[in-house]
Amino acid sequence: MSTSPILLIEDEPSVTAFLRAALERRGYAVEEASSGAEGLEKLGDREYSGVISDIRMPGSVNGAEVHAWIQENRPELCTRIILISGDTANSDTQQLLKQSGTPCIEKPFRVQQLLTIVEKTFGKP
Amino acid sequence: MLDAQWGGVMVFRGRETDLYQAQTGADARELLGSHQAMLMRLGREAHGEIQTLTLSFDPPLAPSGGGHKDREVADVTFVPITASDDESLGCLCLIRSKSATSNGEKRLLHALASHAALSLENFRRFSQLERSKRQWVEDIDAISDYIVVHDRSFRIVRTNRSLASHLGVPPAALVGDPMSSLRQIAETRSEIPCPFCRDTQQAREEYIVASPERIFLVSTSRTPGVSDDDTRTIHVLKDMTDRREAERRYRELFDSIQEGLFFATPEGRFLDVNDAMVRMLGYDSREELLRADVGTHLYPIVAERERFFTALARRGVLRNYEETLRRKDGTLLHTLQNITAVRDASGKIIQIRGLMLDVTEQRTFQSQLQRERDFNQKILNTTQSMILVLDTAGLISYANRRAFESGYREDELIVHRLVDWVEAAQRGDFEAALETTAHGHQVENLELRVRRSDSSIGHFSISLSPMRDEQGAVNSVVVVMTDITDAVLLQAKLAHSEKMATIGRLVSGVAHEVNNPLAAILGFTDLLLENPAIPENAREDLQIILHETQRTKDIVQDLLSFARQRPVQRELVHVNAVLRQTIKLRSYDFASHGVEVIEEFDENLADALGDSQQLQQVFLNILNNAYDAVQEVGQRGRIAIRTSQQGSNIEIAIIDNGTGVTDTERIFDPFFTTKQAAKGTGLGLSICYGIVRAHGGEILCRNNEGEPGSTFIVRVPVATEAATAAAIAKEAGR
Repeated sequence: MSTSPILLIEDEPSVTAFLRAALERRGYAVEEASSGAEGLEKLGDREYSGVISDIRMPGSVNGAEVHAWIQENRPELCTRIILISGDTANSDTQQLLKQSGTPCIEKPFRVQQLLTIVEKTFGKP
Repeated sequence: MLDAQWGGVMVFRGRETDLYQAQTGADARELLGSHQAMLMRLGREAHGEIQTLTLSFDPPLAPSGGGHKDREVADVTFVPITASDDESLGCLCLIRSKSATSNGEKRLLHALASHAALSLENFRRFSQLERSKRQWVEDIDAISDYIVVHDRSFRIVRTNRSLASHLGVPPAALVGDPMSSLRQIAETRSEIPCPFCRDTQQAREEYIVASPERIFLVSTSRTPGVSDDDTRTIHVLKDMTDRREAERRYRELFDSIQEGLFFATPEGRFLDVNDAMVRMLGYDSREELLRADVGTHLYPIVAERERFFTALARRGVLRNYEETLRRKDGTLLHTLQNITAVRDASGKIIQIRGLMLDVTEQRTFQSQLQRERDFNQKILNTTQSMILVLDTAGLISYANRRAFESGYREDELIVHRLVDWVEAAQRGDFEAALETTAHGHQVENLELRVRRSDSSIGHFSISLSPMRDEQGAVNSVVVVMTDITDAVLLQAKLAHSEKMATIGRLVSGVAHEVNNPLAAILGFTDLLLENPAIPENAREDLQIILHETQRTKDIVQDLLSFARQRPVQRELVHVNAVLRQTIKLRSYDFASHGVEVIEEFDENLADALGDSQQLQQVFLNILNNAYDAVQEVGQRGRIAIRTSQQGSNIEIAIIDNGTGVTDTERIFDPFFTTKQAAKGTGLGLSICYGIVRAHGGEILCRNNEGEPGSTFIVRVPVATEAATAAAIAKEAGR
């Protein structure tokens, strides 16, 4: 079970690079998707222990839609999602977080903040 | 027999008395001497019967030895001569020596007197007859009409002098001539040998006889005598030429004049009207109009004719009397009339004469003009714009009602220069516009600041239009001024909120974009710090990066707070309580730095609807600014906080005596700060702005008038029942 990687959906390469570095140092396996669409594609035919997704992304699929797709198509991953947001004050974001109870990390964040939430949601590697 | 010393007859002729004496010659006059006057007086007094008086005379009238030495007495007998109508004609007078008059003598004297009376009467009658005959001829001759008398054989018996002098001969020269010799005067062209006779069987005739030059009215009368010789025909020829001409001229004038002329009976029938009158009233002919009844046909309301008649009866003459009449076709005719009443000896009106003008067109024009004038007046008086008229020198000659309703007084507008009301810096612009208008060009929507009557400055939109005289020269300028201060303020507010919204969108985008690299910087800095291989000096640098990244994060967070307001919790907020809590947060600083805080709260203040946390943030921000501002001034700081209800808003005013604000318009712009760089992110008031706007309220700042410091005003809506219910329902729906 611990063999399955975490799917990281993030359009910003520098953020992706930092997340991968931080998670891999703690022993998590990480697979990347640089857009929401790519994330959904990967989610369609691979197993993941959890999903970390940015909310605001360019392209046709954003974080909220990824969240909705998982709820619909991969319900077992429903409780294993962490969202990342640059603006939690956004009312749509607030609505989503309030309704789903999905954990969210606000950019920019410290490494310790990230790892605490990841361990709490996905468990230790 | 009568034995008289003196005898005479007195004949009365009016007041005169003629004296005829029996004795004649110088002796006789001598004889009577000084007694003549006395005798004549007594003779006049004698009436009726024979009178005998005894009088004293100087000799020789009195017989000697009759009494006194030098004056003797004698009897004087007066025998009055009386006409058949008892008029005194004269008196017989005898002076005799005193002896009684016998009855025989009396009878003789009576007989003498009655003969004398008869003679005198006859004489008088003849002389009267002669006189009157002479007078008659003179009278006839004095008549300017031609008079001719002829007999049955048409021979002239007599003519008067004017007829004879017309022919250039003395009247007597014509006697005996045939009447046909007068044909040159004029003739009736009948078979009769007299040019003036028409029908000799008629006792009286009257007709017009004309010659090429003259027209005569011939009045003929025939007096049948006992014999043919006595039959007389008298023709009187009255020269009518001038009268006819005058009448013709009068008629011509009467009919050609453009004014209606009429003669009417008091009962309301026309006796005569002229063509203009017929035309005015729309009748086909004079005859038709003469048949009309004035009261019922010409007056739309019969009572009006009564009113007219009463006025005429009272005043006799009506000048410029306005009357509305009805034409034959029923349309109305407005007239102006001058009427005279003609009265008989008893004062009763027997005729009405008048002159009538058709003023319908003028009246129509006048009422149209009046309507236009009323319309313009209404516009002038009800428009929300001030309308002024300036002369070419720029002096105000007219101001509409709105100008005075705006507070300007007549004495500060009329004959004053409008430019003086324009703010000094813009007077040049106004003068230039006026100059343009003076050259005949319109100036539209010139926006100028103008001093109001209360000395405040208002923004006015001003249009200037030239007005021209008949020659086309500009002689005045119409100025329409509209106070657009409110619109300008609203426009400014709108522009401000649009600007703020734009800034909001911009910073939101920037913040998002900054957050990603910031996340990477912060993240990698953390990871580097975890690395034990990093030397201590580099670790210190990394700490600085970490700190600055944190600071950047704060700025971005504030930017986002401003740009995208957090949803406002809708709850009842006791504004006074929130303010007290906020003041408490800073009370230590205020007290320790000698800043006095004055609470002027309306204790009956209604609740506001909003988010007490966010409002506290707003108040704290403003208080902090006020604190900083009063600190900078360096004298005893004072901050007054006033709450009140203004209409449907709760107004919170925070007034400080600090430095004031350099730009009250831009104070809410992000990063607009007057503080030192380190003192804040420059976003505090921008966030306040966002919060208050999210509450449906407004926040504004102005510098205090006439004293140092500035005032921040926050307005948030009062929690009305409806608004509260709506908010609760929305909350429940989440």
